[in-house]
Amino acid sequence: MKEIVVASGKGGVGKTTIAASLAVFFAKNGVKVFTADADVDAPDLLLALGGGKKLFSMEIKASRKAEVDEDKCTGCGKCIEVCPFGAVIGPKDGKTTVVSLMCEGCGVCKLVCPVGAIEVKEAPTGTLGVEETKYGFGCATGKLRLGEHNSGHLVASVRNISRRKAQDAGSEVIIVDAAPGIGCPVIASITGADYVIAVTEPTPATKRNLERLSKVIKHFGVPAGVVINMSGYSKDFETTLKDWVVRELGFQLLGEIPVDHEVVKALVQMKPIIEFNPDAKASKALIEIAERVRGEIL
Amino acid sequence: MKNLRKKIGSTPIVAVTGGKGGTGKSTVAVNLATGLSAEDLKVMLVDTDVDGPSCATLLGVQLEGGEEVRTFVPDIEASKCVGCRRCIEVCPEHALIGLQGKIPKLYEELCSGCKACQMVCEYKAIKDGWKKIGTVYSLIVDKVKLVVSELRPTEPRSPVMARATVMKAIEELKGDGYDVAIFDTAPGVHNAVAQPLWVADLALAVTEPTPLGTHDLKLILDLARELELPVEVVLNKADVPGGLKDELLNTCHERGIKLTAEIPLDEELLRSYIAGDPLMKKAPNSPAGKALLSLVLTIRDRLKGGEI
Repeated sequence: MKEIVVASGKGGVGKTTIAASLAVFFAKNGVKVFTADADVDAPDLLLALGGGKKLFSMEIKASRKAEVDEDKCTGCGKCIEVCPFGAVIGPKDGKTTVVSLMCEGCGVCKLVCPVGAIEVKEAPTGTLGVEETKYGFGCATGKLRLGEHNSGHLVASVRNISRRKAQDAGSEVIIVDAAPGIGCPVIASITGADYVIAVTEPTPATKRNLERLSKVIKHFGVPAGVVINMSGYSKDFETTLKDWVVRELGFQLLGEIPVDHEVVKALVQMKPIIEFNPDAKASKALIEIAERVRGEIL
Repeated sequence: MKNLRKKIGSTPIVAVTGGKGGTGKSTVAVNLATGLSAEDLKVMLVDTDVDGPSCATLLGVQLEGGEEVRTFVPDIEASKCVGCRRCIEVCPEHALIGLQGKIPKLYEELCSGCKACQMVCEYKAIKDGWKKIGTVYSLIVDKVKLVVSELRPTEPRSPVMARATVMKAIEELKGDGYDVAIFDTAPGVHNAVAQPLWVADLALAVTEPTPLGTHDLKLILDLARELELPVEVVLNKADVPGGLKDELLNTCHERGIKLTAEIPLDEELLRSYIAGDPLMKKAPNSPAGKALLSLVLTIRDRLKGGEI
């Protein structure tokens, strides 16, 4: 079983659109597929796939939060000085307060509190679930609590459950839709995967962020290919970009998808573009890319 | 929550956020900063999207030099360590491992820099060590002060880097007579986004009229509500063919959220994006340019009236 991660250094370049179309293409062409939405901060893959039927969901409690016992607190302020995250505030009316949203639960406040007024308690990180899409394949999703830190942990849970369910279903491939950026949730999505599809747009800002993502991908030793999405606005820049991807990054160029307003219409209808309009320019390009991924990576 | 959010300085802070990626947060932030500066306001623009900063590229400037941002990691002195394992037991991130009687081994990428290990070491065997988590750049582009941060690739702790960026900006805001600071945020609603929102006075949530845009907008509106932070919506790509503008407007209406600006789809905007030349300068009379200018003037008037 192969795990293919769709990632990008910058947000909004088309990860979810591409992941959804790849999965549906595989499902309809005899490849047993499973999906995982590892963008636990803003999980949109099920939206792009037209929703799902909930098979199960559970709460993940991997976070910890400090709590101050106001009766014991003397307002000495030692905890405020040591908190590395600016989460302990005050003293107000001679008491300190922990801002749960900012607290990483490291517990140094508890360590320095001379009167034992601070406890560090287990706290919810988010939810984990599996849904069945109308295309027959499953989708594992996670939903991080607002403002939470522990995204990497939740991503790892999403990947674990998707592997188990995919194995049960006899799937050959898991398509993982990653979060934007290069931080903790992205690292947690990429490590140990078989292939990364790095999505970019032909713009300088996105190119710079692709370069940053490429450093992470290479560090973890995962093979990768690049898809240039929304091409067609700046031919000169696109030519340079393609050359740069192959020569400087040393990544395979998987293909390019032209700008196509049909993509927005498909999103609004909550259908993957290749399903919504298989004859659209973007669909043709996507199908070509999907065939390439099937032929060369699976 | 609002009374917990300390007003750190006197400069009004406007955060540009939105939930979904690629909706135009940086475009709005850069044009707002450029536009307000052209209106003779002293402006600081802060890119807190430490994973994927774009503001410098959109302003057409290269980032050079910069200042290292470091966090604490334990530096264990072998001569003093007795291998008691207290540090290993207390480490909340399991970044230290080792057997009784042996010097612990550090997994640097797991360390959050909390210093719990140092606090519990009875033998004073843990000195301050440092790891670089990123670089912060501070430069002036035209008259706008730009503060940009980049997380070091392979370093996972975006929230810590975002917080360091916010702190650096607040430090630089002190006593320098800035009229406004614009904080551009990362996509999403995770902690690295919460960090700049925590110090802001107003959030502009930039979104687009698609189900994904609406879905993610609701998340950022929820986060703003939790923080008791005033939030308004900027609808970008407002007239994208087949878009779901009505649904989005309904969401705003239902929640009593003001729609402050509507920016039409405009190829000029894309050209300015690629050229690294803000639309406010490059094509202020284009349809998107006019919409952005109207946003600039609204914010200017509200700043002058002390409403932000």
